[in-house]
Parts: sequence; C-alpha cells; structure tokens
Amino acid sequence: MDTIIEVEGLKKSYKKRRSKEFVHAVDDVSFTVNRGEILGLLGPNGAGKTTTIKMICGLLIPDSGSIVINGINSRRKRLDALRHISAVLEGNRNLYWRLTVKENLDYFAGNRGLSRKEVRVQIEDLLKKFSLKEKQHELVNRLSRGMQQKLAIAVAMLADSEVILLDEPTLGLDVETGYEVRDLLRSIVKDDNRTIIISSHDMDVVQDLCNRTVIIDKGKIVTNDKVENLLRLFQVRAYTITLGGLLSDQQHQCLLQKFPQLEYTTDTIQSTLEIDLVKSEEIYDLFDVLKMENTFIESIDRSTINFEQIFMKIVKEGAEGCTG
Amino acid sequence: MHWLNLLKANTKKEYIELKRYLPNTLAMIVTFYAIFLGMFAGIQLIGDPSTQDINIQYAIVNYIFWFLAMMVMNNIGWEITNEAMRGTLEQLCMSPMGVWRIMVTRLISSTVLNFIVIVALLYVSMLTTGQWLNIDVLTILPILMLTLISMFGVGFMIAGISIVLKQVQAFLQILQFILAGLTFIPLSVAPMFAYLPFVKGVDLVRNVMIDGVTISHIGWESFLILGFNAIFYFALGLIIFFFCERIAMNKGLLAHY
Ligand SMILES: Nc1ncnc2c1ncn2[C@@H]1O[C@H](COP(=O)(O)OP(=O)(O)OP(=O)(O)O)[C@@H](O)[C@H]1O
Ligand SMILES: [Mg+2]
Repeated sequence: MDTIIEVEGLKKSYKKRRSKEFVHAVDDVSFTVNRGEILGLLGPNGAGKTTTIKMICGLLIPDSGSIVINGINSRRKRLDALRHISAVLEGNRNLYWRLTVKENLDYFAGNRGLSRKEVRVQIEDLLKKFSLKEKQHELVNRLSRGMQQKLAIAVAMLADSEVILLDEPTLGLDVETGYEVRDLLRSIVKDDNRTIIISSHDMDVVQDLCNRTVIIDKGKIVTNDKVENLLRLFQVRAYTITLGGLLSDQQHQCLLQKFPQLEYTTDTIQSTLEIDLVKSEEIYDLFDVLKMENTFIESIDRSTINFEQIFMKIVKEGAEGCTG
Repeated sequence: MHWLNLLKANTKKEYIELKRYLPNTLAMIVTFYAIFLGMFAGIQLIGDPSTQDINIQYAIVNYIFWFLAMMVMNNIGWEITNEAMRGTLEQLCMSPMGVWRIMVTRLISSTVLNFIVIVALLYVSMLTTGQWLNIDVLTILPILMLTLISMFGVGFMIAGISIVLKQVQAFLQILQFILAGLTFIPLSVAPMFAYLPFVKGVDLVRNVMIDGVTISHIGWESFLILGFNAIFYFALGLIIFFFCERIAMNKGLLAHY
C-alpha cells in the first residue's frame, strides 16, 4: 500500500522544571501511515500522543529520528512538508474567537498563500457540509463547543492537505455532535481522499472510525495493528462458560494453577467461569479439567469484548502477545 | 502571488479587528492625544517662551514617531503573546508560508492601517497647537520607508523574544519607554545613536518638518546610514526571530498555556 507518512525512531524529551531530570515523552517511536486510512493514536494520559502529533506537524523538533511526509523529509524541508498536512490541535484553541466563522476560513486559507477566489467555492461547500452555513457570520466565541470543533476541522480541510491530524477531536462534545463529527471524518477520508491521524480517549470513536491503531504508553509503541485484528484476537480468547453444577475443590485448584486470572462465580445450582486465554488451544486444558469429574457444561460463550476493554488490557499487559 | 494573498488576508484581519473593536481603537487614539495635550501644556507652562514654538514642533514630531514605533514594534510583541496564549500561534506556525512571512505582512498591514490614524493625529495636533509643520511628502517618504524597514527588524526581534519568554508583558511595558527615549533624543546630543535602528530617520524627518530641509539638501551619507540601518536591522531581526523560533520548537514553547 502507498505510504504517506513514515515516522522512524522518533524521540523527544522535555527538561523537568527546576531540575536536571528529563521526561522521555516520546521514546523511539516508529510507524507508517498509509494513504487513505484513518489511524488511531491511543494511549493513556501522558503517553506522548500530543508530543508525537506536534512533531509530525513541525511544531516540535524531535531530539532524534526522522519524519517523512509524502516523500519529503520534514526536518530538512519543513515548509515543503507542511504543505501536505494540517491539524486540529487539542482543545478549542485553533480559531480566532473574535472573528466570524467565514472570516476564520478566509484568514487561514490566506495564511497558507491561497487566494480568496481559489477557495470561495470550497468554503461554500464546507459550510454546507459542516452545517455551519447559517452561522457563517457569527463570531466564533458565540458558537457552541461542537460548532467550534467542526469549524476547526473545516479550516484544516480547507488547507487542501492530504493528511489531517486531529488531537482528541471529540473531547467535550455531546453524543450527537460526537456522531456528527465521526460521520464528517469518515466522509473526509472516503469522498475527499484524505488521510487522517486521530488521537482519542474515546474507544467507541476509535473502534468505529479507525482502520488501524498505534497504541503508545510511556512514550513507546505497545501495539500497532488493525482494529479488527485486535478485536478478533481478543474475542477468540475470552470465554464465559456456564456449568450445570459446581466445581470440585481439586478442579478449582487445578484451574487456578493453570489460569491464575480465572474468575469463578457460584450460584446454588450452577456456576460460571470467566477466562482469558493467552493461546486459543488452552481451551483443551480447560476441558480436560472439566472432564475429570464429568462436569456438565450448560453453555460456552465468547465474551463480548469491546475495544475499550481491549485497550485497557493491552496497556496493562504491555507488549506481550498482542502485536500482529 | 502567495505573498499577495498573505498580505491581503492579514490586512483584512487587522482591519476587521480595528473596526470591530472601534471603541478600543478610539480609546487608544484619545489616550495618545491626551498624552500629547499634556506635553503641550507642559511646554507652555514651564518651557522657555523664546523657544516655545520650536519646542512644540519637536514635541509633535517626536510624539508622532513614538506612536508609530509603538504601533509597529510593540504591537507585534503583544500580538504574538496573545496568540501564544490563545493557541492560534501554533496554527500560524503550521503555515507552509512560514510564520516569518506572516509576520512581515502583519507588520506591513498594521503600519499601513495605523498610518491613517497617525496622519489624523498629526493634523489634529497641528491644529491644536497652531504650529504648521512642513509636510514635504516627497522628502519624507523615502526616509520613512527606510526607517520603517529597520523598525520591522526590531519588530522581529521583539516578536522572537515574545515567543520564547512567557512573561513578556513587563518587558513590553518597559520597551514603550525605551522607544520613547529613542524617538525623543536629538542626534546632536549623541551622534553615535545614528546607528541605532530608527534614530537617524526620526532626526532627518525632524529636519524636514521643522527646518524645511528638502531631499536635495540631505546628503547621500545620510541615506547611506538609513539604508545600512534598514538592511542591518531587518536582517538581524530575522536572524534573531529564526533563532527564537528554533528554541521554541525545541522546547515546545509555541503555546503558552
Ligand atoms: N511543553 C512541555 N514541557 C514539559 N513537559 C511536557 C511538555 N509537553 C508534554 N510534556 C510531558 O510529556 C509527556 C507526554 O505528554 P503528551 O502531552 O504528549 O501526552 P498525551 O499522550 O497527549 O496525553 P493526554 O492524553 O493527557 O493528552 C507528559 O509526561 C507531559 O507531562
Ligand atoms: Mg494530549
């Protein structure tokens, strides 16, 4: 597939205030982004997502490593590389609050060297697409948070860049606006052939939107895989087994030895085992233990696991056994 | 072409802000006028009556240039600080045109727009005092252009410092008085000051407006100094600005929040 961004061995540390120590915000991160995909950049607070995004945007100079955007080395030809990207950064700080919706669009287009004539049609289309047409003469500080966010995305779209980076674009939006923004982002990729890198804490958004995710924790990449692969991988491994009776003590001990994470809950006439397998073959070991006493199995269910849980597990487990 | 679009966009933005915050703009003009009235009253009360006319004429020119200097150089510092706090500076820094080009066009557009205010202030103060100065546009214009270029250079230095330092407010406030000092100093007192960014230009304009000197009477050495200052300070300003931009991009200082 066609690569549009290549990040290689990226490192960045900040000096701690009033001390000689350094925070390794990003520590040897490498990944690539394919043209036309939506890549999710995930990680807990302080993982280094914003730092990574700002380095790709040319706002932070990496301590080491390289960033190649559309074949252009962004450290050597920063301004050329910037032609191909635009970004909506964290929070609602991307716009001029004392200018109107339309004035913001005009101004930012002009600042990239585009003429009003060149962008007039596009601005009209964006205003319509983002349902901001009636608000075009409203000052930005009078818009709702959701409208501000949509406008910020529209401004990034107007830049005519192939890649758009979004740092937590759905933060602080209500459910409905959140869905609207998701739809807009999806259509941006599909209809306008853009590539999107998105950082988010909302796993729903990620599961719904992203083709692939890079999960980082403490500045290092933990996982880099397709969302569907992660879902399948974890789905296969998580089981809920309902038994038509209770386990004997011996069985229970055996199982605990083999599967320390096992959750065993009992009822008067039945019991449930919840188990996370590391390899799917391990289910046979489980059956062997049940066979010892001919325990009656009422049902076996794959636990429905959502991306949020997967994310939590990956971050907790670290890198082991989940890279694709 | 890109340059032109950039200039148009930034001129429009400066204009919108001046217009939208008209009360602020007017308050600023009134304040400046009040300061001038204060100076005028001071000269009349305590000044030597025999040199009173000339003193008033000096006061007018000095104070007009002080206003210009503030508008060109101090303003850009305030703007950068504000944008860094609001977060829009990062968006500017992502423009493929380069933030320095944006700053050049902002300096030009704010100078042009404020020039209208300055001309108005000039005429109002002449009217107030009854002292009519020699407005020889053909002589003043080239001097002014070259002087403005060196002022832009200083503007870039201030912009750079404002990016790097978070608490630049105190510095900018002190700077107002330094700028006042530099515009008020007569070169005859300290000839070496001719090589400071805009002192020579202000001095020449004083010669034109007060003593009626014409362009043919101004020696080529004077223009040489002006030209040298323009190139030197503009280049120095850009170098310092790029240096500060690099520091900011290394340390993550483009957003001050
Ligand atoms: N300008 C800065 N100066 C000093 N340290 C910083 C700076 N910016 C970030 N850091 C530190 O670098 C680390 C990574 O921060 P970063 O903002 O990249 O995390 P993040 O993944 O975006 O987190 P969040 O989910 O909270 O937005 C954190 O420990 C943070 O404290
Ligand atoms: Mg962040």
